[in-house]
Amino acid sequence: MAGLELLSDQGYRIDGRKATELRKVQARMGVFAQADGSAYLEQGNTKALAVVYGPHEMRGSRSRTLHDRAVINCQYSMATFSTAERKRRPHGDRKSTEMSLHLKQTFEAAVMTQLYPRSQIDIYVKILQSDGGNYSVCVNAATLAVIDAGIPMRDYVCACTVGFVDETPLADLCYAEEGGGVSSLALALLPRGGQIALLQMDARLHQDHLETLMEAAMTACKGVSKVLDEVVRQHLQEVSVLTGE
Amino acid sequence: MATVQVSEAEKVYILHGIRDDLRVDGRGCEDYRHTEIETDVVSNTDGSAKVTLGHTAVLVGIKADLGKPKPMLPKEGYLEFFVDCSANATPEFEGRGGEELGTELSNTLYKVFNNKHSVDLKSLCISPGEHCWVLYVDVLLLQCDGNLYDAISIAIKAALFSTKIPKVHISADEEGAKEIELSDDPYDCMRLNVENVPCIVTLCKVGHRHVVDATLQEKACSVASLIISVTQKGTVTCMRKVGGGSLDPESIFEMTEAGKRVGKALHAPLMDLLQQEERLGTKRQKVGFLG
Amino acid sequence: MKDTPLANCERDFLLKAIEEKKRLDGRQTYDYRKIKITFGTDYGCCFVDLGKTRVMAQVSCEIVTPKENRPNEGIMFFNIELSPMASPAFEQGRQSELSVNLNRQLERCLRNSKCIDTESLCVVSGEKVWQIRVDIHMLNHDGNLMDAASIAAITALYHFKRPDVGIQGEEVTVYPPEERDPIPLSIYHMPISVSFSFFQQGTYLLVDPCEREERVMDGLLMIAMNKHREICSIQSSGGIMLLKEQVMRCSKIASVKVSEITELITKALENDKKARKAGGRFGFAESMPQERITALKKDETPVEMTDVTETAYDIVQKAEAPPQTVPSPVLPVPGMGQVGLGLQNSWGLEDDEEEEEEDDDSVEEQEEKVTKMEVEQHRKEQSSGDVVEISDSEEEEVIILQPEIPNRGPKNAGSSSDQKGAAKSKKRQTK
Repeated sequence: MAGLELLSDQGYRIDGRKATELRKVQARMGVFAQADGSAYLEQGNTKALAVVYGPHEMRGSRSRTLHDRAVINCQYSMATFSTAERKRRPHGDRKSTEMSLHLKQTFEAAVMTQLYPRSQIDIYVKILQSDGGNYSVCVNAATLAVIDAGIPMRDYVCACTVGFVDETPLADLCYAEEGGGVSSLALALLPRGGQIALLQMDARLHQDHLETLMEAAMTACKGVSKVLDEVVRQHLQEVSVLTGE
Repeated sequence: MATVQVSEAEKVYILHGIRDDLRVDGRGCEDYRHTEIETDVVSNTDGSAKVTLGHTAVLVGIKADLGKPKPMLPKEGYLEFFVDCSANATPEFEGRGGEELGTELSNTLYKVFNNKHSVDLKSLCISPGEHCWVLYVDVLLLQCDGNLYDAISIAIKAALFSTKIPKVHISADEEGAKEIELSDDPYDCMRLNVENVPCIVTLCKVGHRHVVDATLQEKACSVASLIISVTQKGTVTCMRKVGGGSLDPESIFEMTEAGKRVGKALHAPLMDLLQQEERLGTKRQKVGFLG
Repeated sequence: MKDTPLANCERDFLLKAIEEKKRLDGRQTYDYRKIKITFGTDYGCCFVDLGKTRVMAQVSCEIVTPKENRPNEGIMFFNIELSPMASPAFEQGRQSELSVNLNRQLERCLRNSKCIDTESLCVVSGEKVWQIRVDIHMLNHDGNLMDAASIAAITALYHFKRPDVGIQGEEVTVYPPEERDPIPLSIYHMPISVSFSFFQQGTYLLVDPCEREERVMDGLLMIAMNKHREICSIQSSGGIMLLKEQVMRCSKIASVKVSEITELITKALENDKKARKAGGRFGFAESMPQERITALKKDETPVEMTDVTETAYDIVQKAEAPPQTVPSPVLPVPGMGQVGLGLQNSWGLEDDEEEEEEDDDSVEEQEEKVTKMEVEQHRKEQSSGDVVEISDSEEEEVIILQPEIPNRGPKNAGSSSDQKGAAKSKKRQTK
């Protein structure tokens, strides 16, 4: 029943997109001057702000220092006004802690931490408006912020959430689609090598559909990576004009 | 407040400059930094505003919810403040590091708005003793470069100006219980009168003079500051002294006068700007952070 | 308390063994450890043993007011406690990363997959619903807590019976189990999680890692499925990079494992039901005298013993003769003896270990015993071996220090190489 509403017979979704269409992605790097790297990314109605501090000396517990690479420290939090129902605690609950761990894991795989032994890189992501696909938007925003900070990475990290309705994979779910009990798969990909940094799926999905769903997710991620690449190049152009090169 | 380390030589430099009414970035002692204000940035909320004061960036979102009025004041709605010092501003605010500053800021805001005139709370009442509007004002600190109170108060004023509260129709049910209907029309809404909403002015005492809108470096040179909230008419709603140093009564009087003057001068251009923005209506290009 | 750090040589040993497709306990890459499921006296209490990992799950129920946005659905609450009993690294009360991870994974596996019919838990819509609480306690941590926890949780939920409720108009009566038989929960399907651990940047993969293997792994992939081949949850953790083919392969392996484990669980549940019906004694307290729950008792591990003697004989034949480790003492100066030429004093364990791995594929257990015995025999040797006695006596003797100090060095090195040589020869003899 929910499937009928989410995907019409002509192949249109609730917000008028086709099954494999992504939402409009708009991004800007270097939003804040004080942080080492910052980026703002909008994917449809979901807005996220990512800020990177580092690499710097280990703060807090020195015992966590790694002798051969940098420690990546992530925090995911949502603004209290980001969701339709007001959230009382911006971070500290289990879901936010889990998201922070996932972000940390994703970026540990992508950032070349061997270049900065005994140091710490902080990545803070804040969701200003939540309309589905929170994790993916965070990862995309954080990728831009890390690039803005000048920290070398193996490749862009692009993420996308896909769902499965009526035997069709839907790319880039919005909040209404996520809540409808649709099986959703969140995937963080390094597009050039096709390597998956994080894979997460909830709700039931038959094993035979797994491959199609993963393929759709990887195609969507590659689409996002093109957009991110353009944003980075444009930002670079603007900056070089300003510095007069 | 996030602090910055300032050397002794820098302190002396700043002190001498301020003595001669010349600050590090060329401003006078009572000048504000370049401010950018934009309303209606977050579409999930009933009202929102983003203010950039120099390098300090603040985002305020207001959500209106139905709630029960306070037992002592059954005919009024109320405001709830929450300040979130996010880790974006500085890594020190990670985890629970920003909670202390956040509670201090929200307590001050409660004091500032704790009078009958700032916001017309009676207009927030729906049915006395049973239903009223509760305005949750959530402040998000994005970047911290001194003078948080001023930025927050300007943002709150702008957000309250742009808040659209849906109109309520009360109908009596068969059993006598009251049914509340919110109108679905996005244009059928109630606006708040923000004429009397105060703006906070922070005056820092540096040397023998006082300075308005201090940056972090200037704050590191000052020992005490005075926080005054002033309305458009020049009435002072709240005054507080912060900082470890002491102020003699003469300076407090001087600073209060200066604060009133500056505060009054702040309101007029702010209202002008907000009304100008309002007039652009739907033609306005929403910039948000993408600008 | 901090966990004892893993030595580099142990890490290298484990990784090398995995590269050669060998595991510490002799399993194959896709084998699970032995799973044992026992039930307690109450309905909803179960113990799961996954090799040495021990987990206890307890289900309880309570009538509460439902959530505002879901007035006619019951509430499921999961809680995993990492008790310090399980491992010295777990601290009481502190929510470590592992605890958050496990809790969230179990929640996603069981709650989001909607395995339980929450609407059937509703008593009075909007006012009273059942809250089912699953508490899982880790009793012993020997790797793969997630799988053990998921098996325990779903078995306990299947085993649980809630009290019957009668509604007459406005009144709601909860009947105690004596008056009316309690009814089981309505569960749609049985999601079970299977954990895959990756090593060497994803080149090698193991199912059901034990605690040592978990320490050296790069990352973990958890796939939760039910026997109808529906995937309930996938979660990759740790900083590994996966390829799509790896994920597909893992899901195929998972489906096989899940069907095996589901069978095991259904059998265990049936056995328990039979035992209860037959009026026989059951439950945790009863298991103790039957020695089903003893800490020190070890199961007999099956070891391939066919043609051990032949293989051992072959190896001994093909082995080289032990080198001349007993050189005759040299007398450079009267009153001073020198044995050996003073080799480099390296610990030389790497060479020893590689030799151990190459010999005797099928007799790993015996191998371990041999190495243990070797240490004990060292001490025995010191009292009885001919060679070693010389070095012993040298140390005890009062030796006039000659100005040529370098001679002392080679002497000691010589004695240690002697001990090594003696050990080697002893090992060859036991083989």
